[in-house]
Amino acid sequence: MNIETAGLIRRFGRTEAVAGVDLAAGPGVFGLLGPNGAGKTTLLRMMATVIPPSSGTLRLLGRDPRASGPRREIRRRLGYLPQQLGYYPSFTTVEFIEYFALLKEMPARQIPGAVAVAVERTDLGGKARARLRTLSGGMLRRVGIAQAIVNEPDLLLLDEPTAGLDPEQRVSFRALLRDLAQRSTVVVSTHLVEDVGAACSEVALMHQGKIVFRGTPAELTARGTDGGAGDAPLERGYTAVLAQARS
Amino acid sequence: MTVTGLRTPAPGGSAAPAAPRLRWPGLRMTWLFLASRRVPATLAALALLGLVMRAALYWHWTLGSRGAAAQAVPVLIEAGAAAVIAISTYSPMGEPERATGRWLPWLRLAAAAGLTGVAVGALAAGAASAAPAGLAGGSLDLLRNVAGLAGLGLLAAAVTGGLLAWVGPLGYVMLAEIGLVAGWGSPLLWPGRPSHDLGGALCAGLVFAAGLLVTTVRGARDPVHE
Amino acid sequence: MTATQLPARPRAAALRPPSGGTAWRLLRLELRRSPMPWTFPLLAALFAFDPYRTAMGYPAVWTIRASVLPNKMLPDFVVFVVGIAAWVGSRDGRRHTLDLVEMTPRPRWAGQLAAWAATTIWAIVAFLAATAVLYGVTAAQATWGGPPWWPVIVSCAELAALAALGFTAGALFPGRFTAPLAAVGAFVLSLEGFNNAVGRSSAFAVLSPTTYVPANDAGVFYPYPPDVAIDQLMFLAGLTAVVLGVLGLARSSGAGPGLRRGVAVLTAAGTAAALTAVGLAGTARQALPGTSQPPSATAPLSMQAPWVIPALHDAASDQPRPYTPVCQTVAAVPVCIHPAFRIYLPDVAAALGPVLRVVAGLPGAPVRAGQVASGSLVPRSGQVNVGGLPAGEISGTPPAFSYTADQVPARAFAESRGMFITSLQAALVGAFVPAGVSQPATGAPAVPDRRTAPAVAPRVAVQEALLIDVGVPLATQRKQGLIAVQLPSALQAQADIVAQRFAGLPAAARHAWLARHLAALRAGHVTLAQLP
Repeated sequence: MNIETAGLIRRFGRTEAVAGVDLAAGPGVFGLLGPNGAGKTTLLRMMATVIPPSSGTLRLLGRDPRASGPRREIRRRLGYLPQQLGYYPSFTTVEFIEYFALLKEMPARQIPGAVAVAVERTDLGGKARARLRTLSGGMLRRVGIAQAIVNEPDLLLLDEPTAGLDPEQRVSFRALLRDLAQRSTVVVSTHLVEDVGAACSEVALMHQGKIVFRGTPAELTARGTDGGAGDAPLERGYTAVLAQARS
Repeated sequence: MTVTGLRTPAPGGSAAPAAPRLRWPGLRMTWLFLASRRVPATLAALALLGLVMRAALYWHWTLGSRGAAAQAVPVLIEAGAAAVIAISTYSPMGEPERATGRWLPWLRLAAAAGLTGVAVGALAAGAASAAPAGLAGGSLDLLRNVAGLAGLGLLAAAVTGGLLAWVGPLGYVMLAEIGLVAGWGSPLLWPGRPSHDLGGALCAGLVFAAGLLVTTVRGARDPVHE
Repeated sequence: MTATQLPARPRAAALRPPSGGTAWRLLRLELRRSPMPWTFPLLAALFAFDPYRTAMGYPAVWTIRASVLPNKMLPDFVVFVVGIAAWVGSRDGRRHTLDLVEMTPRPRWAGQLAAWAATTIWAIVAFLAATAVLYGVTAAQATWGGPPWWPVIVSCAELAALAALGFTAGALFPGRFTAPLAAVGAFVLSLEGFNNAVGRSSAFAVLSPTTYVPANDAGVFYPYPPDVAIDQLMFLAGLTAVVLGVLGLARSSGAGPGLRRGVAVLTAAGTAAALTAVGLAGTARQALPGTSQPPSATAPLSMQAPWVIPALHDAASDQPRPYTPVCQTVAAVPVCIHPAFRIYLPDVAAALGPVLRVVAGLPGAPVRAGQVASGSLVPRSGQVNVGGLPAGEISGTPPAFSYTADQVPARAFAESRGMFITSLQAALVGAFVPAGVSQPATGAPAVPDRRTAPAVAPRVAVQEALLIDVGVPLATQRKQGLIAVQLPSALQAQADIVAQRFAGLPAAARHAWLARHLAALRAGHVTLAQLP
């Protein structure tokens, strides 16, 4: 298992953003659904070792990220795309990806090839030398994905990765996810249920800091047959589960 | 947005209660505009510069005892105040804010002019509190210098964006101080002109007016994708 | 259609960023994208109008020209180096990349060091380019000696320290106002805050490169004393280490325990170096040129006397540098100057010649005039000082007139040739007929008390008369403050009348009177009424 959590809690002041999450995930694409404020981003940030849990246990890639040595090893094998991607406008696409490859302590001789592969996989070849300030929002998102995958991570955490991508790019992106998931754990936090349905082998639904559903997309769809609003089967399953969680 | 965010009222149920009316919408809009420009922090920065002015005059931080050298440090502090005013023109919102109604230009004008006045007041208060030491040219020189430098900062903001506009006033002052020491008498170097000098005051005033006009009409340059 | 059925996109050409070590590549990225080069046009303009223009007004003496590096070029650079460094340091906060850089295995501090280093390197490149221009022009004009490198090294160290301060301020406080406030604060503090904190005459003042002013002829008669420069370097290096260490110890640095220990050691070492430098500065004292001996309590040194720090002093720097003076004979008296200042020999000869002719053959008249090292003239009672510096001295057997580079218009670029000549004439006249009253070190006129004023007045009158004789009217003497004695107004008026009367005598009569009464005049035994 690449991700193991037990009773994971994270508080901000008096607010419990994550209120006890038990999770285990191995290789594959794992979808994380939920309404705004459900705690998805906070959970992802804990997995990205950006913030520590307030309590509970968290093991990533078989290691405890609380200790600095294991944490550093985890980060070498981790890729993270935050919901709001910051960037340096004067950097070019290649420079930005290379910068993070360097910070991820990739062996220097591997970096040029890895950057080239990341650029190609995210279809940024035509914008490789362009300054980031000249790129559209969707292209910037692809730059963010490229920096997350440049080190061929064993654990890839993506928060709203397809925001701003056009349909064709989303299709390509899902194919990329499936390719990566053959040997890595990919956690995708998204509002777009069709991304979950198309790419994820397993999905969890969060509500008010807790996981209220865990299963396959087909199982989530099945929950929607008895009621629930939505235009697509998966949406109906999503709303049905949430309605039940709220009642 | 997901459908879970929407709730359909039950049939026959009463409509949701009306939201309370927004009182003083103009003031509210002005306050939100000022908050978006971090004007409270700007005021704190100007107050800090007022204290620095007091310290500089009280402890005689000068580069020399006469003429331009004696004015160098106070003029640089005035440039710092102008830089702070220029930075306050930065807007994080960008295009969505521009694509709104008619109030935004007037808000920008009022903020720039108001902050310039506050800057003059803060620095004058700092200078006055350092009595008997004080600014050689008095408050009129201070007004002229700060207004002109603020105008430069506002013009720089239209080119570089608000966050980098500080380079304009500081760069000008560094060059101007060299001119002062060398005895250049151009009214374009208004910090070095004598008190009550019409040429210097006119130049500073024109630059200030130009800066206000550009800020009103265009505002600071939008940084892309911020 | 599934994703696998979509037509393949054309493969982009392989993109290969250049290879190289990690640290170098991080640095290279930052160098390429640093905003510092955008300030170069402004820095070039500042350089052209301030330090370069000032230096070209100085004589082509290496150490005098090099003095603009820390005193003018550094202050011009401070604002933009600190401001841009603060801007770069606040980058992660402004661009919302904190999460991204904090979750990488390489500590954020490593990236920050690369960014700071890039800013510093560009700042130093600009500084060295300007220095190259200045030194290049000076090399074509100088008549002696070679470029001093200590001012360059110390200035580069100060740029690094200032950049570290600005960068750390930006990193720790990534607000929008940090850059300009840091820039203004650094300028004000580096120039004024430091000196006001320690006092301009305090030994600790030598720690600040921007406010420590070496003598006009530092490095000419004796090797450039490196004591203060080494101490400054130690202080700046320590300060840089401390500031960057603080950044490394901050929670957001991403440093693990091992790296934190290393950073703590670095910070401690930097603190030790800086404190040691401060302690050494406290032991600094002025000394007679060519010695490391402190002056006696009764013979205070001028402000231009070199500073030595005993623990850092190298005795080799006390050995005079050999040179052959350049001389011109005027009124049968050789007037000599150090070859580094030879451009001024015609003016010095033109200044001293008329006075030497007037006093030729009189008791104590100098048989030679020569330049000596600044600070080697010890202020004596009755000696004329100019700006707190002894203006000249007649001493030795046979008597010789000594003057220093302080009379050379090195820094007073508002001083015309005429003023230079008259002030040197006044120095010789003042040394030949000392007024007999001590002048304050500040250079303000000496004010004799009521008891001694009547004895001082005749000597003042003779000084005035001698200057009138060589063509310096009383009005000019007043305007330029050539006679640095302030008599009571009634007595001054009498002295002026006597001076004009004495100057109106035939030269032979005046010469004869002086020959008989000069000793008594110098001893204060002659009254105004006794002057013809």
